[in-house]
Amino acid sequence: MQGTTAERVSAEGLKHAIENRDARRLASLYADDAEVRMIDRNNPPSHPRVVSGRAAIATYWDDICSRAITHAVDFAVTEGDRLAFTQSCAYPDGTKVFCIATVELGDGRIARQTLVQAWDE
Amino acid sequence: MKLPQTRYARSGDLRIAYQAVGQGPIDLVFVPGFLSNIDLHWEDPGYAHMLRRLSGFTRLIQLDKRGTGLSDGVDPVHLPDLATCTDDVRAVMDAAGSGRAALLGASEGAPLSLLFAATHPERLRALVLYGGYACFHRWVQDSEAVERFVTQAETSWGQGRTLRNFAPGRSVDPELQAGWARFERLSCSPTAAIALARMNAAIDLRAILPRIRVPTLILHRRHDARVNPEAASYLARHIPGAALRWLEGRDHLIWTGDTDAVVDAIEEFLTGTTPSTMPERSLAALLALRVTGASRRALLDAELAERMAGFDARLSNEARCFGGSVMASGPEGRLLRFDGPSRALACAQILNDLARSLGIGLGQGVHVGEVLPGESAAYGSIARIALALAGQAASGIVLVSTVAAEVAFGAGQHFATWGEVRIDGAFVAVERLVPEQHLGRARRVPRRDPELAPLTQREREVLALVAEGLSNHEIAGRLELSAHTVKRHVANILLKLDLPSRAAAAALLARSEGA
Repeated sequence: MQGTTAERVSAEGLKHAIENRDARRLASLYADDAEVRMIDRNNPPSHPRVVSGRAAIATYWDDICSRAITHAVDFAVTEGDRLAFTQSCAYPDGTKVFCIATVELGDGRIARQTLVQAWDE
Repeated sequence: MKLPQTRYARSGDLRIAYQAVGQGPIDLVFVPGFLSNIDLHWEDPGYAHMLRRLSGFTRLIQLDKRGTGLSDGVDPVHLPDLATCTDDVRAVMDAAGSGRAALLGASEGAPLSLLFAATHPERLRALVLYGGYACFHRWVQDSEAVERFVTQAETSWGQGRTLRNFAPGRSVDPELQAGWARFERLSCSPTAAIALARMNAAIDLRAILPRIRVPTLILHRRHDARVNPEAASYLARHIPGAALRWLEGRDHLIWTGDTDAVVDAIEEFLTGTTPSTMPERSLAALLALRVTGASRRALLDAELAERMAGFDARLSNEARCFGGSVMASGPEGRLLRFDGPSRALACAQILNDLARSLGIGLGQGVHVGEVLPGESAAYGSIARIALALAGQAASGIVLVSTVAAEVAFGAGQHFATWGEVRIDGAFVAVERLVPEQHLGRARRVPRRDPELAPLTQREREVLALVAEGLSNHEIAGRLELSAHTVKRHVANILLKLDLPSRAAAAALLARSEGA
């Protein structure tokens, strides 16, 4: 486990990190062997894009947070070790993205996350 | 297909057109080469395939540099320098909300990307250079060649003549040339083309290479026909930590040849994972044509070249009548692509007539198989088999792989067993097309009097009008041809029939119709 700030992942903590585009903080919320599965137009349910391990997930959040977009986590629900939230994003050129994600926790960190996203095109 | 939305980013006083497509986490900015038009790119099968694949794992942002495509034009008197063009890239990234992107610079887009990497490293995640160079005169063209290009642009911009500069060896393909002509016209005006050519010719960025501190991948086709591959080795030696990956082929244009190999290398570099997508393959029938050895020996080189020029002038149109197109044309022969073998076989029979009327001995071969998109089929094993069959065929004979013959089952074609041909270490069973035994051809060819056999369809039409007593001008009006062309047809008719006058030709026609 990394450092002493191993607080349990909460909906509020996630919302704060996402809305502030805090890539480092976001990466720290994942377990070492975590897995993120993404489903979108180019990555259908039969072949989702999978990002495995905290290092790759950190790169993923670095890429996402480098974009000048606004993120709003507008709905979240927690039930034991499971969490779900929706996220609305807007690019400066007007493109909007909507995303819904489910998260499974293990030892207080994110072990598995599945997100489905839809884009203005 | 539905085109992605085109947006405009403000760069100084100008607006730069861009499109963002794809939903991946990585931003990839594509900086195209000399010519571009981001709408037109989607109309070319090879280009569209490449863009679709890149946007499968990135958010792909493609742009037209100032002075090209859908972006604002430039004042040719006050040429933009490369640094101004890097501002355009930054302006597009700002407008698209891209804080840190990977940059893909192709051909002339590569030096622009290099300069961007040296001046804005904080905005770059990675750099990919394809078919690039640091010094134009050293690795692309010398001053004389640039001046020749400028003259060409001044006299014939918009006709596709500059294709030979970018795809040497491919410029004889009339389809590709027609596409390129449109690409020229929709990419920039002749004045802008000359201005851009002069700007590119001045590029020498060798001094900045050691300053580049971004993870860099250099891709170059091993036998690139425009940019000397040495240019890639030089980049790899002087950009700290750069990786160099050679790709097979001689195509310089990033959207021609094996585009999947290009995208695979980029995906692996940017995501760290090896792509597992199946390339989009489609079924095609290929018809190969070769002049027979006997015909080569019987004719002088100049004679053969002249007759082949006459043949080639008609080839594309004949292929189009059967929904086909000319894929490649060179000393090896001609290669045509059709949707299915029965169309290829019907076209082969027409081409046999055409070759016979021109006094060319032609062997033909037909094979079917799966091909990759773009033009790569011209170099695949399907093409090798079709060409090998054409090489084995005697004059007037069409050899057909048994596979192709079976696919054409029920189309009214008849075949006789011919034998086997060994190609790439494997035996291919071969049939011979028997053209006389069927009744319904895809395109009905009128029964021909043996005396008139050497004439082409067009020459027969001309002869029929000669027999009606029409003058060359009147025939030209009737057939929508120039008088000069009609005159040439009449001269050919008399030559082929060995007759002294129009009246004699008319009399022969009357005799043959009365027979």
